[in-house]
Amino acid sequence: MMPNPLHASHYPDAALHQRVNIVENVRIAQATYRLRFACPELAARILPGQFLMLRLERNDPLIGRAFALYQTVLSETGEPWGIDVVYLVKGKFTRELVNCPPGQSLMVWGPLGNGFPADPIEHLVLVAGGIGQTPFLPLAAEFLGKRRYGQPARTVPPARRVSLCYGARTADLLAGVEDFQALGVELHLATDDGSRGHPGLVPDVLRPLLERPELPLRVVACGPEVMLQAVAKLTSTWGVSCQVSLETPMACGIGICFSCVTRVKDDRGDWDWKRTCVEGPVFDARRIAW
Amino acid sequence: MNQEHPAPPPPLAEVSLPVQLGRLSLPNPILVASGTFGYAREMQHLVALDRLGGILPKTVTRQPRPGNAPWRTAETAAGLLNAIGLDNDGIDAFIAHHLPYLCGLGPPVLVSIAGRNPPEFVEMAEQLDAQPGVAGLELNISCPNVTGGVDYGTSASACQQLVAAVRQRCQLPICVKLTPNVTRIADVARGACDGGADAISLINTVLGMAVDWRRRRPLLGNVVGGLSGPAIKPIALRCVYQVAQAVETPVIGIGGIATIDDVMEFLVAGATAVQIGTANYYDPTVTMRLLDALPGALREAGVSSVSELVGTLETSRG
Repeated sequence: MMPNPLHASHYPDAALHQRVNIVENVRIAQATYRLRFACPELAARILPGQFLMLRLERNDPLIGRAFALYQTVLSETGEPWGIDVVYLVKGKFTRELVNCPPGQSLMVWGPLGNGFPADPIEHLVLVAGGIGQTPFLPLAAEFLGKRRYGQPARTVPPARRVSLCYGARTADLLAGVEDFQALGVELHLATDDGSRGHPGLVPDVLRPLLERPELPLRVVACGPEVMLQAVAKLTSTWGVSCQVSLETPMACGIGICFSCVTRVKDDRGDWDWKRTCVEGPVFDARRIAW
Repeated sequence: MNQEHPAPPPPLAEVSLPVQLGRLSLPNPILVASGTFGYAREMQHLVALDRLGGILPKTVTRQPRPGNAPWRTAETAAGLLNAIGLDNDGIDAFIAHHLPYLCGLGPPVLVSIAGRNPPEFVEMAEQLDAQPGVAGLELNISCPNVTGGVDYGTSASACQQLVAAVRQRCQLPICVKLTPNVTRIADVARGACDGGADAISLINTVLGMAVDWRRRRPLLGNVVGGLSGPAIKPIALRCVYQVAQAVETPVIGIGGIATIDDVMEFLVAGATAVQIGTANYYDPTVTMRLLDALPGALREAGVSSVSELVGTLETSRG
């Protein structure tokens, strides 16, 4: 394979840098909020699994933060006009963001990253841990034939079945479950404390799907690294294709700072640090040198 | 007069943006700093690259370097710590893959190089001298994140010898990027000038660190790193002022520049040009806004060229 002469595969060639207005900033689960802002051009071109950078116009916190597309928002005539992201209040940025009311502006740049591939599959299995469910709603919508994304809109042959294996520490932290339900996604929930769904970890609810596959399936996972590793191992054991969406912290999101690196293997099995923002964030799990 | 078409405002006074850094001519004084703009290809869609006064791609080394283990950056109050560790594919890959693209963009390309010793600097300088389209070099003798990265930036005599060695074997204009992590930066700058530097780039990052006390761990994989962003602007301004007072060689100001006021402050303090660094990360189109605002700010300052403003700071110290 020829090396890519310019090093990375997913430069931000469709990205816009804009000031946008917050439309909604509402709580949807414990310490978890959905932020909606108006940005028709960005909403029209973003793909499931791509992300955007958000920044408040102040010097502290200074750096933008990466957020996955949770869903695009459509007008009555079906035109995308807004974007939803879902965030967990955890650090300096999100503690500020949670206090931003509708009408306040923030800076946004995106769409960024490669996004999830649209390769056809009969059974799409989404595996999420913690706040890792956030990139999956548009992918589910797309594979269930309910929504299309991109400019021009990409075509995804509908899957016969889309499942979500989703785990969190406790039931109150499970966010957006009803959004997946409304699409017709089959749910397999797990909580560490057993307060909802299977008492235990996400791989526990994924394993039966792999052991007794009824249809050809593909796994797509997002969440803490320990979970991703476990899912990568499990899928490898059962010979199932698996993609992981990494949550590596980023400083720029556009490939210029070289800080969001992850160990990625090449065809010979050697690894090098690769920028998650422009080589990912979605990788074939077999390429990650955990 | 037609009421719907009011008279146009009087034409704005022309202001001249080109600047001269020794043997190096730049179309305007707004450059992008090495290590904060990738290889420019990343920014092609967000920024009109042809408008920039100069492009400094990420520092290249003789051999490929994997860079440091994560985390490579940590945010601090109005600043960013980094310890990337000169992650790059080496000069041969740079010349083969990145340079042709960079040299086709229009603005002067200043290639930032970091050798482990003078022969490596000289060898890379010779290689780049043979490449058509390279406008100049920036010697990175101020990277705090690699072993020996500041060896030639903390001693005036070592700096002089290195610059002289490169100058002897390479025709390209040479900028020398200095570290602020020294007692008297003007001394090191004098060494660079005596060695034959065309310009002094000030400053590289300020050595710092960040700690997670709950986990009792440093936030950077490399433990310590270099601080950049608005937090270091006063340090950079002070360095630019001190060096501009001490030497005749033009100075390029770097350090926390993010607004047109920042640009103007550096010019007044003695910088002939500026490089925009960390602001590219958090405000990717910042250079375009600075270029839009520069002519108006120069008019406001009552000058008709950038060079007229450079070093016009008035102090009671004389």
